[in-house]
Amino acid sequence: QQANIAFGGLKQDTSLPVQVEADNLTVEQATGTAVFSGNVRVAQGDLKLAAARVQVEYAADGKAIERLHASGGVTMANATDAAESKEAVYTIGSGNLVMTGDVLLTQGKSAIAGQKLVIDLKAGTGTMQGRVSTTFVPGNK
Amino acid sequence: MARDAHSRLVGWLKVILPLSALAILSTLFLVARTVDPDAAIPYSDVEIAERLREPRMTAPTLAGVTRDGATITVTAAEARPAEESGTSASSVRARLETPDGAHTALSAGQAQADASGTLVTLDSGVLLSNSAGYEMKTEALQLRLDTTQATSTGPVEGFGPPGQIEAGGMEITEAPGAPGQYVLVFNGGVRLIYQPRNP
Repeated sequence: QQANIAFGGLKQDTSLPVQVEADNLTVEQATGTAVFSGNVRVAQGDLKLAAARVQVEYAADGKAIERLHASGGVTMANATDAAESKEAVYTIGSGNLVMTGDVLLTQGKSAIAGQKLVIDLKAGTGTMQGRVSTTFVPGNK
Repeated sequence: MARDAHSRLVGWLKVILPLSALAILSTLFLVARTVDPDAAIPYSDVEIAERLREPRMTAPTLAGVTRDGATITVTAAEARPAEESGTSASSVRARLETPDGAHTALSAGQAQADASGTLVTLDSGVLLSNSAGYEMKTEALQLRLDTTQATSTGPVEGFGPPGQIEAGGMEITEAPGAPGQYVLVFNGGVRLIYQPRNP
């Protein structure tokens, strides 16, 4: 089933510069694919993403970055929420972040687990899919 | 009568015209500049003395193929034997073409080739531009001539398709475990800043 989640703190300006830090970056000369590896940190405004490996996927014209494909255990955090999953794909242009594989999202005291979390950073909304289970701590206002 | 004058005129012309032609022709050699054989050589005495004292090569070119099939050509403005061993060259350009079709152009202020001739060290500012779209600047870079390996000895900065890049070091080598594939590895801590285009 599916649970809709409000990401109040996640209104995100997706035109902010994206900064990626990692131990190393390997670029395949012939194809140009670029892969960051070794505790990779992606930061854009308040959004912070940490992963073991991030592959850069370019747009068709090869000038802009279309997507960042993070894998090897991803943790995402922003001003108010944090989420963990096996993999994540962040499409910079549209500003949506899809986290897949044992996703655990914590908002304040409440936690939601599921298989897939789709967050629309521009609108600040998200939907969790796949065996969603939530734990509320009453009275956590 | 008129016809007689005309033919007399033609007769005279037949004599005067060739003579004046001959006269003009002969002055040609009088006014010609004398060719000074010495001035033909563009070297001054000072340069010749300097060359004798210090042997050097102008516009040398070094080309070779590495074991894994990448061609390397190095050209410089001037090369001369270095103090201890090997040769040193100034304003150097190098080009590395790897079998995967990509190529890298390097230019540097100075270069030293070691005696064994398997390693060229480019320094005093190296500019690297790779066909994958990366333009990087670094202080010095070591280019091996026997296998395909270009390694920067210090931090690099520049930009590429993903954006502006700074890294602790950089290396172009054959991808480990994938012969025939070549990778550009930025290591020692990489920082990339990408400015999204507003759609």
